[in-house]
Amino acid sequence: MASSLLDPAVDGTPVLDVELPDFTTEAYKSAYSRINAIVIEGEQEAHDNYISLGTLIPDQADELAQLARMEMKHMKGFQACGKNLSVEPDMVFAKEFFSDLHGNFRSALEENKVVTCLVIQALMIEAFAIAAYHIYIPVADPFARKITEGVVKDEYTHLNYGQEWLKANFDSSRDEIIEANKANLPIIRRMLEEVADDAAELKMEKESLIEDFLIAYQEALMDIGFNSRDLARMSAAALVA
Amino acid sequence: MFGLIGHSSSFRDARNTARDLGFEDLADGELDLWCSAPPQLVESFEVTSSTGKTIEGTYIDSCFVPEMLSRFKTATRKVQNAMELAQKRGINITALGGFTSIIFENFNLAKFQQIRSTLLQWDRFTTGNTHTAWVICRQVEQNAPRLGIDLKAAKVAVVGATGDIGSAVCRWMANKTGVAELLLVARQQQRLEDLREELGGGRILTLEQALPEADVVVWVASLPQTLEIDSNSLRKPCLMIDGGYPKNLDSKVMSEHVTVLKGGIVEFARDIGWQMMTVADMANPRRQLFACFAEAMLLEFEGIHTNFSWGRNNITLEAMEQIGMASIRHGFSALGIDPNTLNPQPLAA
Repeated sequence: MASSLLDPAVDGTPVLDVELPDFTTEAYKSAYSRINAIVIEGEQEAHDNYISLGTLIPDQADELAQLARMEMKHMKGFQACGKNLSVEPDMVFAKEFFSDLHGNFRSALEENKVVTCLVIQALMIEAFAIAAYHIYIPVADPFARKITEGVVKDEYTHLNYGQEWLKANFDSSRDEIIEANKANLPIIRRMLEEVADDAAELKMEKESLIEDFLIAYQEALMDIGFNSRDLARMSAAALVA
Repeated sequence: MFGLIGHSSSFRDARNTARDLGFEDLADGELDLWCSAPPQLVESFEVTSSTGKTIEGTYIDSCFVPEMLSRFKTATRKVQNAMELAQKRGINITALGGFTSIIFENFNLAKFQQIRSTLLQWDRFTTGNTHTAWVICRQVEQNAPRLGIDLKAAKVAVVGATGDIGSAVCRWMANKTGVAELLLVARQQQRLEDLREELGGGRILTLEQALPEADVVVWVASLPQTLEIDSNSLRKPCLMIDGGYPKNLDSKVMSEHVTVLKGGIVEFARDIGWQMMTVADMANPRRQLFACFAEAMLLEFEGIHTNFSWGRNNITLEAMEQIGMASIRHGFSALGIDPNTLNPQPLAA
């Protein structure tokens, strides 16, 4: 429907083109030292997690090892991004940032809970990464932009791996997925909160980070076999701070 | 498969709907929370045409609410993400309902085709404006005589005349209906001049000048909150078609001589097994719907998988005739005044 006597707030053509941040300020570099560290740590843990998953799903250990190698490559790429801006990543912060999720993954691994491991790593963390990378790309420095664009393509294949496995085993996994979602989604939300101010310094908005995360996460859940009502119910925890 | 992208008419309504669906967290959440909510596939349903053909449709709630209009980035994201979802679900033709097409058009979102990993294909979407314009014209043609208004002698004011729907209504009224005079009301003078030249007639007036002269007023613009209409100054009788969004004209005009009809609403010949038109405040939500939504159904019935209504001022008389014929063939009728009571049906509920 068109309108000409519209609320002035909607009228006119505002500019959607983004303005790039100043990559050289101390404030930017400080925020980048934590965000960059999170990404490096995230890729490192993803590598370790896929290797570990290979012990639970031995017949797919080769494929998982391949995914793990990709994560290692990403990690090196992001290390180069930090160096390019002369930023020292704050790895202590990053380890602490991931500690709860990391702990839950390790516990699930010890209990041979493949489904929980896949939900944490292949669904949640990958969806989180895809969302963050997509939102970062338009506001990244040219060097990091190129690297991140390459990474995003790979991350979709990782999300897809977990998706396919859980889809193939949906009936037997359903309850455990719901449980893993319940236990871990609030942690994801808390992580988003913790990183919000630094992300804002990089011109990445919390509001769109959450929405993009949920889009990727819900799409995976729907493909796995959940219906739209399940999705709304399962993702509420990511919306509520 | 066809799709409909809609949204709640207010934040309060959105919360109530969430509560009805059992999503307490969403229902209790503040506007900020809703700003981060992704689009939702709410329901799928079948529609059977009077020709016997059955098609399948999906309703997507963009999680947009009008309170987000002042947040440009948020409103933009809601529209783009809902469109991406429709395309990813493989929907052939999706109508952009309510504020969705208004945001798309006014924020010039045609410039942004790439949404994450998806390249939006515009030919999968329609604003539905051609059918809306045709339905509004039909509402004028069918209902003015019921009130004793002879259109051949009538002055018809179109408020929002230069918009996509408004200009199409003017074109049809001038060429097909043969009204005595068109009164053209809009904000932008140059566009008004251009329109008058295209039509080969019509008088450009301000809203205040046009209202006391008009036997029929077609509103295809959202009404400013501050708008006040002096019902005593209007013609008796006067037919008003509320074709804007949201439809709140009936709260502005209170007079027995003025008949306000919800514009751009159609009624289907049989019940549709969906819930969502209850949310849109329809008097008969199983059968009544926005004409723009019906356009997506018509395009799917007819196998016309293209952006039938797109951009501004592209609606031709031929396209209006084509969609109008399809509308009748498949079982839609324009919402009208009940001839027995002369009460507009939608206000009776």
